[in-house]
Amino acid sequence: MTFNQPTIDYAGLSPLIALVATLCVVIIASIIPRVGRFSVALLTLIGFATTAGLTIWQWGASENLVSNALRIDDIGSMAILIALLAAAGTVLLSLREPAAYTAGHGAYYALLIGSVMGMVVLAQSINLISFFVGLELLSIPLYVLCGAAVRRKESLESGLKYLIVGSLGSATLLYGFALIYGATGSTNFGVIAEELTSAQLASDTLVLAGVAMAVVGIAFKLSLAPFHQWAPDVYEGAPTPITAFMAVATKAVVFVAFARLLEQGLGELSGIWSDALAVLAVISIVIGNVGAIGQRSIKRLLGYSGIAQGGYILVGLVVVSTEGAGAMIFYLAVYALANLAVFAPLVARERESGFGDDVNGIAGIGRTRPWLAWPMTIGVLSMIGLPGTAGFIGKLFLIQAAVDGDYTWLAVVVVIGTVVSLGYYLRLLSAIWMEPQPDAPNTQSPMPVIAGGAPEADASAGGREEVPPGSSRCVLVVGTGVICAAATVLLGIYPEQLIQWATEAGEAITRAVGL
Amino acid sequence: MDLSYFLVLSALLFATGAIGVLVRRSPLVILLCLELMLNAGNLALLTFSRSLADQQGQVLALVVMVVAACEVVVGLGLIVAAYRRKLPLNVDEFRTLRG
Repeated sequence: MTFNQPTIDYAGLSPLIALVATLCVVIIASIIPRVGRFSVALLTLIGFATTAGLTIWQWGASENLVSNALRIDDIGSMAILIALLAAAGTVLLSLREPAAYTAGHGAYYALLIGSVMGMVVLAQSINLISFFVGLELLSIPLYVLCGAAVRRKESLESGLKYLIVGSLGSATLLYGFALIYGATGSTNFGVIAEELTSAQLASDTLVLAGVAMAVVGIAFKLSLAPFHQWAPDVYEGAPTPITAFMAVATKAVVFVAFARLLEQGLGELSGIWSDALAVLAVISIVIGNVGAIGQRSIKRLLGYSGIAQGGYILVGLVVVSTEGAGAMIFYLAVYALANLAVFAPLVARERESGFGDDVNGIAGIGRTRPWLAWPMTIGVLSMIGLPGTAGFIGKLFLIQAAVDGDYTWLAVVVVIGTVVSLGYYLRLLSAIWMEPQPDAPNTQSPMPVIAGGAPEADASAGGREEVPPGSSRCVLVVGTGVICAAATVLLGIYPEQLIQWATEAGEAITRAVGL
Repeated sequence: MDLSYFLVLSALLFATGAIGVLVRRSPLVILLCLELMLNAGNLALLTFSRSLADQQGQVLALVVMVVAACEVVVGLGLIVAAYRRKLPLNVDEFRTLRG
């Protein structure tokens, strides 16, 4: 018996290898006593920058890696870059985050890197096995990060809720995968696509049931209505930088992986799943936009608005075209920037206002804190899709793709959804610019005990972990918001380069993956 | 032996788990039911793997076992943390976040 060593393309795998190395370095560095939190965060950022550099270096490549488990192509690279952008933003927002103190900075950043590793695997996977591994590697560190602020019971509650709903989604997805595997006899997307064509399986019960369960499982992860109930709760309870990360990175990567599974693996059945996805998109747009109206918690509001935005993005998948995939990836990129521009000021206000994430926390900051008010305003305007911001171009592309793909009615729904969304987005803007700043509430409550820790540890830790408030201390947070807002405006005026990248990425998805 | 028996069993296990997640109130029992759902998936994978005489399904089943263990570790950790904060261990009481 001979053992054939598989050919391993180390250049193609280099982004993943760089992340693994960063993970090891960060964990080791964090246990060295004199290494402070800034050094740990800096190491993490250097790791992300290296990974991004290696991903850009591999731009334009189009080949399968590791015995057809992963595929490196432009749409995967684009998703990885969005995820890295979000992760780097999260690191900057987390420097003074109470959750990072409670969990320990090393553990906190290591979990973040682990989640990004899962995203890299998921964005490149062309095999049911690597898809499942990537999705779980992405999700499990996020469950922990959501519950990381163990002093707040909301955080624990959101972690547990996310774990239960996320695992429910994974189990459904797995069962769907099992059925698809049973019907087609392979876990490789390329072989599945070939089997579906050659063996006339398009009306096979096993395949259809499998596809339905897989779509439901992924809809849970993407918080598409009617599988969305967890999203507002988890967004509200999780530490705010982690909410930003979930809203941006998870969405981008899971959407790309979803597109890969559907178009490269199950493309033969597109007539069946595209109508189902159209229904999911409509329900998400309606429920997301209606649910967000009247929310007082900004994180909760963004949770609902994320459901609606997920519905818009899904339109790019429904039309099954190069154009649609390009519009999807373009929208994901600009949505990431807009979201970070909104979340950065929110993090800053949460620490200094004493209102938490309530709308009162941002009331009147237009006059007192213009460096926070402007990024937030620009981010919100981009989410609405106002001309001059990148969100406008993104929505334009999605609507154009929908009309070209004979889904004009869906484009109409997107426009109506946008109009309804003004109801809550403009409320944020009026709070920022038109309301007076309320007096800060008295929040000098004693620090709650550390859940899961010994009482002595609580006593010794009490007070020491107080985060110094004050505007001068959050330069990095303000900077993150300003940079993302500037990029949003810049891409709204000069979108050509990003359009070209998104088009290249869109073309990559329609290429057959090969066996 | 007819493999459809195994598939029916796995479908029943999956349904039992799903119903358990929906109706039970204790987070511990919910975790158990989630395990049941994942293992129902495993049984289906192994059945198909056997009938197709192909190894890929078994590889996925092995991966799922690892994933299930990770999920339980995180879940139990969160439950212990909630218990030490003296939060009620009943998912109906988890409603600080709602609306």
